[in-house]
Amino acid sequence: MKHKSPVIRLLLLILIGAALIIGSGYVDQLRSYQGAQVAIFAIAISSIVLLTGYSGQISLGHGALMAVGGYAAVLCQSHLHIPYPFAFLIGALAGGVAGFLLGIAAARLRGPYLAGTTLALAVGLPSLANQFHILGGEQGLLFDVGNPPASLGSDFTQYRWFFVVAVIAAILVFWLLRNLLSTRYGRRWRALRANPTAAALSGINVAQAKVLAFTLSSTVAGLAGSLFAMLLGLVAPLAFTLTLSFTLVTGAVLAGVSNLGGSIVGAVVLVAIPELSNTAATHFGGSDKVTANLPGVITSVLLIATVLFVPNGPKLPRMKFLARTRQ
Amino acid sequence: MFVQRRTKGGIIAVAVAAAAALVASALPAHAETGVTGSTIKLGVTLPLTGAAAPGYNKIPGAMNAYFSYVNANGGVNGRQIKLIVKDDAYSPSQTLSVTNDLILKDKVFALVGTLGTANNEATTRLVNSQGVPRLFVNTGFSGFADMKKYPTTFPLFPSYATEAKIMGKYLADNFAGRKVALIYQDDDFGMDALKGFATAGTSFVAKIPYAALSQADPSVIGKWVTSIVASGADTVVMFGVTSATGALAGGLYKANLIGKVQLILGSVGSDGTTLKGLLGPLAPALAGSIAASFLPSPADATDEYITQFKAINAQYNAGATFDNNILVGMNTAMLTVQALRAAGTSPTRASLIKAIETKGSTWASAAFSPILYSAKSHVGYTGYWFGKLGLDGNAVSVDGPGKYTLYTTDSGSAPVVKAAATRPAMPAKGLPKN
Repeated sequence: MKHKSPVIRLLLLILIGAALIIGSGYVDQLRSYQGAQVAIFAIAISSIVLLTGYSGQISLGHGALMAVGGYAAVLCQSHLHIPYPFAFLIGALAGGVAGFLLGIAAARLRGPYLAGTTLALAVGLPSLANQFHILGGEQGLLFDVGNPPASLGSDFTQYRWFFVVAVIAAILVFWLLRNLLSTRYGRRWRALRANPTAAALSGINVAQAKVLAFTLSSTVAGLAGSLFAMLLGLVAPLAFTLTLSFTLVTGAVLAGVSNLGGSIVGAVVLVAIPELSNTAATHFGGSDKVTANLPGVITSVLLIATVLFVPNGPKLPRMKFLARTRQ
Repeated sequence: MFVQRRTKGGIIAVAVAAAAALVASALPAHAETGVTGSTIKLGVTLPLTGAAAPGYNKIPGAMNAYFSYVNANGGVNGRQIKLIVKDDAYSPSQTLSVTNDLILKDKVFALVGTLGTANNEATTRLVNSQGVPRLFVNTGFSGFADMKKYPTTFPLFPSYATEAKIMGKYLADNFAGRKVALIYQDDDFGMDALKGFATAGTSFVAKIPYAALSQADPSVIGKWVTSIVASGADTVVMFGVTSATGALAGGLYKANLIGKVQLILGSVGSDGTTLKGLLGPLAPALAGSIAASFLPSPADATDEYITQFKAINAQYNAGATFDNNILVGMNTAMLTVQALRAAGTSPTRASLIKAIETKGSTWASAAFSPILYSAKSHVGYTGYWFGKLGLDGNAVSVDGPGKYTLYTTDSGSAPVVKAAATRPAMPAKGLPKN
């Protein structure tokens, strides 16, 4: 496969981003919101792809790491009064620090033990907010990023602005990750995933590589968490539930867990399912109970079908500039 | 072939355009979002799935039952009410997503009875920017009464701080000189309560905080009982959720303290149906406990609101057991109908808000507490009555069946006032004519 240089990749991504941002002017507010949701989910799913698809570690607790990022961003903005783009960076850093600590433990654990540990994190961490008054308890803390810049005109809606911010963040994340994965770190992680023993025998410091992967993945999750907080306008324990963690893993599996470009597809599917099931339920005239449970059923069926029939993810049109390097 | 098809398509397109033009010209020039000549569209979000769903998932059925009843009797000023129910699984992010749908896609006129504090916070920005009225939100968080931050929002339930202040007054009046211990949930819910008790000047021999959901851990309950015994308390105030009340009853039973300790329960933790379900054969252990409530007991067959709502429930709600959730749903729906009627024959969002502010305090509602809506206040109920739990788990007023003494105050420093409870009579057949 012909390798594209990072600069060309960046240009391509910027082109796509520009097209999306211009296109967002032609859709209604609801679609802008969903677009922002897709971009944020894509970032969060890419953090799982990086961790599971490349370094072979599993995490059922990335929702909690998103919470760390979200809360850090909100606390910094409300107490230190820093502009919100920097709050996102701090959210990412906080996620990274939490991930580093978790990664040290994670590097010693494998398979179900690692899954169990991260699961405990997803269950336990968000409820910490109820223990410390500064974290705002059950009702959470508000995160107000204000109105879109006035220079964009009064027609520029808040949701479109969120979309723009999320798309820019997603482009940066994908560019950085894609470049990183084609360096020796990416190769080490792939070696690690394929066979940790062989990797260790070839001179790779397995523990270090694992901790690094966990830290970077958590940094990305932290950023996604702070963007999620922007979209919601708040952080609260209920916003970062176990369901969120599972949703991210589902998105990653649907995407083909070792396919960075697939995170976008995974994100689109996650956002589209409630919409589709709603349309279906309305069409077939289901009761509230059917409508409420349908998205969960569809997601579960899709997940099982993916694992059974296309364990490496659905065959997608190759997005060369994002595709995995051939081994 | 192709030409033919295209022509046919063209004809259809022209016909549709013409029909649309006709419809458009027939409509009043400034039709309000969600209101047509024959319908009014409303929306509600609450948990229908997930851990928080049991109980709450009965509310939309009750609201729909009441609206169906009103629709069958001519609707509101000739318009049929259509309620769109969305599940948010109690997750604020899902609340925002489905509220986006309700406001931007389904284009509802107003939101009613949306449930949860964080959930309502998450949609505030959207609600405010679109100017959507948000009526009778289902949360005890007193902050929603802040008209600057939430100009279109109307909370209904009394705040936890109000409740604690009133309990403090009740303790001073009826349990002076007793050794009182307090068990409270260690979060904003409990903090609000501590604030209220501090204002009331209530002193406790022991304050026992517990983390939300830790009541499922038997060792936690053991600690409560040990602390109660160690403090020598003869009266225990429980300011937590119903499952915590259930756990406490179990703990006291094991320690053989039933009948030796007087329990006083907050309104959140004293739902009779839920307690009966939780405790099973142990439920009578709570008999004699004092409980604060603002709505009448759903089991009170002498209450005119309860009997009317029960009749509507039997006819329009497919056999759902009448309980506090159904009562809350019906009561919210009845207030909504009065608000829509008062908003005029061509209601707008502005006229709806104005109607609640100017007339809301006079409307019929099941609670014994007055409603404090005015142009300067969005505070809903402010009062509680005290009942004694019977063997069946339902509260009967301490003054005797059907006689209610109401304690009212605010979330701040106003004194607690005690008065005989009065409320507007239930409209004939449960159909408001305001």
